[in-house]
Amino acid sequence: MNRFSFALRRPIQLIPVLLGISVITFILLQLTPGDPVRLMLGPKASQEAIDFVRARYGLDQPVLLQYFYYILNALRGDFGQSIAFRAPVGDVIVERIAPTTFLILYGLLISISLTLVLAVAAARNRGSWLDHIIRFICVAGVGVPSYFIGLLLIMGLCLRLKLFPVSGYGPTIVNNLWHLFLPALTIGIAVTPILTRNLRATFVQQMDADYATACRSKGLTERYIFARHVFWNSLLPTVNLLGVVVAFLIGGTVVIENVFNIPGLGNLLIRAVLTRDYFVVQAVAFILAVGVVISNFVVDLLTALLDPRVKL
Amino acid sequence: MDRRSFLKTTAIAAFTVATLPASALRANAEGKKILRMGYGSEVLTLDPIKTVYGPDILIQGMMFARLLQANADRTEVGPGLAETWEISPDGKIYTFHLRAAKFSDGSPITATDVAFSWNRMRFQKDSAYAAPFQPLIKIEATDDKTVVMTLDRQFTPFLTLTEIWNTGIVPKAAVEKMGDEAFAKAPVTSGPFKFAEWLPGDRVILAKNEHYYLEGQPHIDGLEFRYVPDDNTRVSMLQAGELDVCLGVPAPRMVELKAAGFRADPEPSSETYDMLINHSAAPFDNIKFCQAVSHGIDRQAICEAVTLGLGTPATSIMSPSLDYFDKSLPTIARDVEKAKSLLAESGVSDASFELIQNAGIADEEKAAVLIQAQLAEIGIAVNIAKIDSTQAWTRLAEGTYQAEMNWWYNETRDPDNALRWCVWGAGDNKSYFTRYNNDTVNKLVDEAAGEADTAKRAELYAQIQKIVVDEVAQVALYHPTWLNAYAPNVQGLILNVGLQFSSIGETTLG
Repeated sequence: MNRFSFALRRPIQLIPVLLGISVITFILLQLTPGDPVRLMLGPKASQEAIDFVRARYGLDQPVLLQYFYYILNALRGDFGQSIAFRAPVGDVIVERIAPTTFLILYGLLISISLTLVLAVAAARNRGSWLDHIIRFICVAGVGVPSYFIGLLLIMGLCLRLKLFPVSGYGPTIVNNLWHLFLPALTIGIAVTPILTRNLRATFVQQMDADYATACRSKGLTERYIFARHVFWNSLLPTVNLLGVVVAFLIGGTVVIENVFNIPGLGNLLIRAVLTRDYFVVQAVAFILAVGVVISNFVVDLLTALLDPRVKL
Repeated sequence: MDRRSFLKTTAIAAFTVATLPASALRANAEGKKILRMGYGSEVLTLDPIKTVYGPDILIQGMMFARLLQANADRTEVGPGLAETWEISPDGKIYTFHLRAAKFSDGSPITATDVAFSWNRMRFQKDSAYAAPFQPLIKIEATDDKTVVMTLDRQFTPFLTLTEIWNTGIVPKAAVEKMGDEAFAKAPVTSGPFKFAEWLPGDRVILAKNEHYYLEGQPHIDGLEFRYVPDDNTRVSMLQAGELDVCLGVPAPRMVELKAAGFRADPEPSSETYDMLINHSAAPFDNIKFCQAVSHGIDRQAICEAVTLGLGTPATSIMSPSLDYFDKSLPTIARDVEKAKSLLAESGVSDASFELIQNAGIADEEKAAVLIQAQLAEIGIAVNIAKIDSTQAWTRLAEGTYQAEMNWWYNETRDPDNALRWCVWGAGDNKSYFTRYNNDTVNKLVDEAAGEADTAKRAELYAQIQKIVVDEVAQVALYHPTWLNAYAPNVQGLILNVGLQFSSIGETTLG
C-alpha cells in the first residue's frame, strides 16, 4: 500500500456513509409529524392553497417514491427545493458553507496555538504553580458551556470595551479575522482545556520514558530533549483527539453561530429541522458528514507524517 | 506547528485587531443614512402574496405601495397610489383613480398593474392570504388610470383592506418576465424602498427608491433588515451601535434600554395571546367545562408574569387597539368557587386535558405553567406537551388537539378580519381551528360587515364579543404590546398595530 492508494480509498468509503446518512435522515424526517407547507403558507391559507403547494413539491407522492426521486436527482447534482426559501437547496446552502468552515478553522487555529503554549508551559514546569494554575483552568474550562463564554465575551469585549463587533460575518478574509475573532476564541476556550489536558499528560509520560532517560544520561540538555524528541513523540494522541474534536465542533457550531449571529450551516440546520424543510436537512447532513470524513482523512495524513511506523 | 508559526499567527491576529479602528463598527459610512433593523425571524420571500410571516410582512410593507396608505399609527387610511375613489350607492362597486407614479425600474404604474396585482392576490392558487377578500369577485382596469372592483355584497371593511401588505402593487411586466420565483428574490418595487441585495441567513438590503411617488421620501438612503435569532444578541447589537432598531426586546430588558437612552416604550399592538381549545372534542365540547377553565385562570397574574406589566389582561377576545372593542366588558376575575361549581355542573368525569405549547418560546412556557398550577386548584389536571411549531400547526389544522397556546394579530383596526378569522365558524379555518361554530355569531359577523352605520356596527360587535366571551370561543389571556427599542437618532418611526412601519417614508436618522 502506498499513499496514493490510501487517498483513493477514502472517497470510496464515503459512499456507504453518505447513503446511510441519507436513509436515516429521510426516515427520521418522515417519522416526525408536521407539515412544512402548512407552516410556509401560514394558518390563514386555505386547504386548497396548501394542497396545491404540496403537490408542487411532490409531497403528495408515496414516501418510497419520494426517496427514490431524491436519490436520482441527487446523483445528478440536484438536491431538491427548499420549501421555506422557495429556492433550490444548492443556492440556499452554498453561501453558508464558507462562514462555518472559516469559523471552525479559525477556532482550531486559536485552540491549537493556545494548547501548545499551555501544555508546553505546564509540562516543562511540572509541579510548579504555573502547572497547577493551568491544570485548574483546564478543569474549570471543561465545565463551562460555550454559549455562556460567548455571552461573557460579548458583554466584556464588545459592549464595555467596544473592541469587537457583537455579530456577523464580513465580506473579506481580513475583515473576518476581526469579525469572527470572538466566536473563534469561544471555540478555543471550549476546546483548549480538553486538548491541553491530553497533551500535557502525554508530555509528562514521554519525559519519563526510557529514551528520554537515555538522552539525559548522554548529557543532552532538558530543553534539547524536549524540543527534539519528547515534543514530536507526544503529538500523536492529541492529533487523534483533535479529529474527534473537529467532528464535535462541526455539530457544535450551532450554538456559537446563534450567539454571534453568524449566517452558517448550523443556524440553517436548526431552522430547517424545525420547519421540516426536508431537502435542506438532507443536504446539510450530507455536507456535515463529508466534513467529518475529510477531517478524519487529514488526521490520518498527519498521523502518518508524525509517525513513520504508521503505514498508510 | 512550531513556536515561530505560533508567534506569526499571534502577530497577524494582533495586527488585524490593531488596524481596524472601533469606528468601523459604524456601518453608516460615507455619510449615507442607512437604517439597520434587527428581527428574530428570517425573511423568506419578497413576494407579497406568498406569505403571512412576520419578517416578510414587515419588509414587504416598506417595498410595495398599496392603493390606500395608512398613517403612522394606523388610525386612518388615506390616499396612496389611488388619489381618489368612489363607492357605488349599493356598496358593491369600488372605483379607484390612480395618481401618476412609477415602479423602482422607472416604468409607470398603470391600472393594468394594479388589476394584475390584485387578481394575483385574490385568485392565484398559492396566494397565502386571500381569505379576507372573499366578497371581492372581480377586478378590472377600465382605462390607464382607473381600476374597478366588484363585490358580491355590501362590505364595509373593504377600504381598510386595500392598505394591507399583500395588496402591494407589483409590475405585471416584471413578474411575467421573471416568473414568480425569481421575482420573489429580487423584486421590482413600488414603495419607498427598492431591492438592493439579499444575503441569505443574514440580511436583506434595501435602497431608496428614487421613483417613489411621494416626492422627497424616503428621507433615509437605505435600510438593512437583519436576521438576528438570539434575543440577547439582538439587544447587545443595539447597545453596541450595530443596529438602530431592535425589534422584539425581551420584556425584562426594556427598562435597562430606556435607562441607557434608547427609545424603548411599549407600542400598541393588535395581538391577543390565548389558549385555543378544541370545541369538537372532549372535554372542551362541554361548554360548562370551558367556562370552568375560563374562570379558573388568573389572567391578571399571567399577564403580569409574562409582560411584566407591559400588557393588559383580556376582557374581550379582541385587542383593545381594534375599533369597536367593547370597553364595557367586565374584567374576568379568577373565581375558584365558581369554577369548581361549573366543573361539577359539567359532569365531566375525567377533568384533564393536554395543553400543547410551542417548544422554545419562553412566554408561552410561563403562561402554560401558570395555567397548569391555577387549574390544578380547581381540580383540572393539565398535561403540558412541548412540541415544535410545525407539528403544533398541523395538529391544530387537523383538529387532533385539546388545547394549544397561541397568539394572533390583526392587519387592520377594523375588527371584521379578526372576528371572521377566529369566531366565524362558517370559514375554511373553522374559527381558527377551534371548531367553535355558533350560527348566531356567524350571522352577526356577516351583518356587522355589511352594515355601513358606525353606531349600529358598534352595537353588533358588542353583541358578538359578549357571546364569544360567554361561550369561551377561545380562552383569551392577555394583550401584549410590541416591545421594540430605537436608537435615539431614529426619529418618526413606530411599529403600528397592524405590524407595519407605515411612517418609514418620513423617518429620519439624525
